[in-house]
Amino acid sequence: MNTRDLVLIALFAAIVVVLGLIPPITLGFIPVPITAQSMGVMLAGCILGAKRGALAFLLFLLLVAIGLPVLSGGRGGLAVFAGPSGGFILGWVVATFVTGLIAQRFVREGQPEVRQFVGFFLASVVGGIVVLYAIGMPWVSAVTGTPLLAVATGSLAFLPGDFLKAAIATLAARAVFAGYPLLPVRA
Amino acid sequence: MLTSLHIDGNSWLHRLPVRAKLLALVMLSILLFLSGSLFVQLAAFVISAGLYLSVGLSWREALKRVGFVFFTIFFLAAVNLFLLPLNDVAVLTLRLMALVLFAAAVTATTTISEFMDEVTALLTPFERLGWVRAADVSLALGLVLRFVPDIFARYQAIREAHRARGLPVRPLTIIGPLIILTLKDADTIAAAIDARGFRRQ
Repeated sequence: MNTRDLVLIALFAAIVVVLGLIPPITLGFIPVPITAQSMGVMLAGCILGAKRGALAFLLFLLLVAIGLPVLSGGRGGLAVFAGPSGGFILGWVVATFVTGLIAQRFVREGQPEVRQFVGFFLASVVGGIVVLYAIGMPWVSAVTGTPLLAVATGSLAFLPGDFLKAAIATLAARAVFAGYPLLPVRA
Repeated sequence: MLTSLHIDGNSWLHRLPVRAKLLALVMLSILLFLSGSLFVQLAAFVISAGLYLSVGLSWREALKRVGFVFFTIFFLAAVNLFLLPLNDVAVLTLRLMALVLFAAAVTATTTISEFMDEVTALLTPFERLGWVRAADVSLALGLVLRFVPDIFARYQAIREAHRARGLPVRPLTIIGPLIILTLKDADTIAAAIDARGFRRQ
């Protein structure tokens, strides 16, 4: 890994920290407030690609684990991994990796703009929603004993917000791809 | 802006080495997940709560730190009441609360540098395999701590620019410029690191 990749990973982890400081937005038609930080998975994968994106999140989790309150709402420390949503937090690394793999596979420079939007949206939905829930929900079920079906039903409340996040991440990732492309330079 | 969750103090837990505390946390979670006895879970909960409250946190701060996780635990416990026998719900809830409290106690009594020493030690086998360099991890961590205030200042500047033009402050229009402006610095920072020979390349 060259120094530039190392710096990109560190800067992106720092961006995810700052996204946690932005106040969450509440929308009338969605039951849960939307935190900018939870968009980080989709953004990191779509902008830095699989390897660097996943490493950026691994670094972010290291910050959480060593006791820095960097999760949105000033949370942090080992307690968040021990809690019911620990699986979602650990799942961020895998989710970012998958998002990055799909984005690298489907988005190229010189493609029509629409194809790039579709590629980023697909990557964000599969990586940031499908993979993340596939790790997070069984974890919740395993540690709290709540049947998986009940957890899945409850998680439906988060889905509208997640799709909105995927849409925002798609637009932002495409803007970065047009302004300062990093995805094609494979690490 | 980034103040550690560590609390100064000289309790028994403060003086224990990090490795012992982390091992204890792992052992406790294995033990509690293997045991289905209400008595064991209750004992672990009382001990963890006692440890957590003895590290020198004010009541308010102590509650604030675990409040959000406890909220999730209680919410799921309330759901479980309709689906599982009462004894199971009590076991599951006490187990999670005990683990969260113990983990919070470890976090409160360990400094960042103690954690980083342990991380470096844990990375040594991987370093021998040539997968990762412990010095790179410390460097990356230092870079994050160094640049978070800068990036936050940049976020505030973009937000002010929105307000000055009468635009609504939306995540979409903020995130794009924030990421481009931040990542564009990467080349300069990388050049500065290499010029100082920090990575000996």
